[in-house]
Amino acid sequence: MSDREAGGPIAKLATALDERLGARVPSVIVGGASFAYTAGAILTFLLVFEALTGIALAAFYAPTGSDAWASVAYIEDQTTWGHFVRGAHHHGGGAIVIVAGLHLVQTALAGAYKRPRELVWWLGILLLMLVLAWAITGYILPWDQAGFWANQVEVGIAAGTPIVGDRIKELALGGNDYGNLTLTRFYALHVGLLPAVVTALTVLHIKLARRHGTTSIKSGPDAPRWPDQTLRDAIATAAVVALLITIVVSSGGAPLAGPADPATAYDARPLWYFRWLYELRELAGSAEQIAAMVAPAVVGGFFVSLPLLDRKPDRAIKARLLWLGAMAGFLALIAALTMMSFARDSSNTELAERQAKAEIHAARARYLAKTNGVPASGAIDVFTTVPMYTARTLWAKSCKGCHEDAPPGAPADQQRKGPRIGPGHGNRVWLAEFLKAPSGDAFWGRTKLGKDPDAAMPAYEATPEAVADMAELLYAESGAMDIDKAKQERGKAAFETACGDCHSLEEGVAGSGPGLAKLGSRDWYFHYISNPHAAVNLGDKSEMPRFDQDLTVVERDALAGYLVWLRTATAQDLAALGPL
Amino acid sequence: MGEPPDRRGFLKVATCCVGGGVALAAGVPVVGLLVDPAGKQTVSSGKDPFDLGALSRFAVGAPPTRVEIVAPVVKDAWTAATNVVLGAAFIQRTTPDTIVALSAVCPHLGCAVGFDAKAGNYLCPCHDSRFALDGAKTTGPSERGLDPLPVKVVGDRLELTWVRYKLGQTSREPA
Ligand code: FES
Repeated sequence: MSDREAGGPIAKLATALDERLGARVPSVIVGGASFAYTAGAILTFLLVFEALTGIALAAFYAPTGSDAWASVAYIEDQTTWGHFVRGAHHHGGGAIVIVAGLHLVQTALAGAYKRPRELVWWLGILLLMLVLAWAITGYILPWDQAGFWANQVEVGIAAGTPIVGDRIKELALGGNDYGNLTLTRFYALHVGLLPAVVTALTVLHIKLARRHGTTSIKSGPDAPRWPDQTLRDAIATAAVVALLITIVVSSGGAPLAGPADPATAYDARPLWYFRWLYELRELAGSAEQIAAMVAPAVVGGFFVSLPLLDRKPDRAIKARLLWLGAMAGFLALIAALTMMSFARDSSNTELAERQAKAEIHAARARYLAKTNGVPASGAIDVFTTVPMYTARTLWAKSCKGCHEDAPPGAPADQQRKGPRIGPGHGNRVWLAEFLKAPSGDAFWGRTKLGKDPDAAMPAYEATPEAVADMAELLYAESGAMDIDKAKQERGKAAFETACGDCHSLEEGVAGSGPGLAKLGSRDWYFHYISNPHAAVNLGDKSEMPRFDQDLTVVERDALAGYLVWLRTATAQDLAALGPL
Repeated sequence: MGEPPDRRGFLKVATCCVGGGVALAAGVPVVGLLVDPAGKQTVSSGKDPFDLGALSRFAVGAPPTRVEIVAPVVKDAWTAATNVVLGAAFIQRTTPDTIVALSAVCPHLGCAVGFDAKAGNYLCPCHDSRFALDGAKTTGPSERGLDPLPVKVVGDRLELTWVRYKLGQTSREPA
């Protein structure tokens, strides 16, 4: 004390303050300072670090079913430091688990769980378990496929608890199913309850640990905590921070899968520190519920009861080989199971394929979120922000099978059945080609109509110029503005004799062939899709199903709009729309 | 210091009572609110059967068709969302009049089951449970086969009733 009281004004101020606060406890490290005692400082630092990064993230995060994923994607992709901070928060959690685990092993090796330090030991184990729970509550918050499905499994396990399982599930989910209340609940746990409890217990843990002092592993002269030990603490912490930053940068930060989707399968995997349990359940087969409950209980129970089992005051390692051996056994088993789990996954090529697909899906979602924004109706709807989403989805579902060529090698029953429809459909070139060979493969060739020479439309046999004139006439019906009037007039003059027997250009009038008024316009497509069998369309010659019952007016109109768009589109335009 | 010991005892009990009262006053409302959602239908989507479209959509003898079950409205606590995908089902029309619908919710722990076209059976990606075409479990941790869902032909359309069952048990109990 005496050397502190002496000294300059700062030291005097410090002493005066301490007289009032009583915060300065002269602390001595028995046997001298050591890097072996730095775990506590590192963990304290990491907890503060998680708190700070967590607060920064909380300033952006929205814990609701519709917004959670969107807000996390925003943090990742549209803020300056968000990607790094979220990555640091994610991996910082992993670092706590690792350092706490090492701290536990080290404490056990030193025999520091023995009387009178049992409470310190138990508090430490409780803290480790709370940290694990903390990680679980955080993993679901992004409401992405990974967190959502992993949580299903975790809650599923908890729901398997005898008698109270259902209640636990209801309390975890905040009701009968995943929803807004699930997120708010996990959020409250993650940023409210768990931080408060962990902080309180950590303070207690440190207080008790200081009260009992370290179980010294050194036998040198005693050293003051400040600055002998604190410097070592600072160096060790700096090393961990450097490592953490390296990991955050090299791993690409924290993963973010596509938005949670209850309808789409996802290969859910728990956080890496639960992988051993995951593997154990995998191995246990139908006994897995037992494995999931019993294994953690056995491991936890062993560590908790260690001070009770090993009661002799002797802290020499040799005297405790049985217990340390058992601990080593457990740890080796956990390590082995963890590695097996990762090995099992990495040897599964189908899994790799599915994961690659899921990654593309996630990247697409994030790209769309960034360029188009996420609709307020929910993160899943981000996929609906692509151009002409409704029409293209309907097309893929209801039209494509008959109107687009199947990929090479597809079986016979998946081949195109109707006329091919793609970019340029209904433009001048297309019309001219059609006129020259209406029963060609790209047109009616694959239909009953095309195969029936009596019913099929005969080719328009005329000079290329005359065909072009006729094409211009029909093209003008679509409402296109770039019409060559002279050609159109010539086409009109030829129409009566060449086509008039079967077709009419007068609205609502059909002959034996479809009426051609407004052919290729949005209106015309709408009515054709609604009912191809209408007299003004193809009548009973059409094999196409009518869609006026299966599709709503809006949907049919969207499809019609898409077909109009196709007329002026090129293959590149189509590709530029991106995947659905 | 000259107090009689029973007076001290009374003071202690009184302190505990008052303290307990304060703790209750703070604790009951908090815990009460926290457990409020238990047993409540916080997420609901109506019980009407879903229209899966024209029967002709499902070809006889074809491999199972995956259909998404889209609820017109889902109320989730304070929000109401329209056209929400609740999950998926596999529809198989084995003969013109037999239609089997299987829920794509894995009866094990609820992951979404997919149809493995190569193997010709169902696979759950989470823990590798496999199910035969008729839904029966073949391998993996699931306690039972895939859950059949009630379907009905109304006119020329197919209607399906969406049910979620309790997971991880042999018996089929609605959740
Ligand atoms: S959830 Fe399907 S096998 Fe586990």
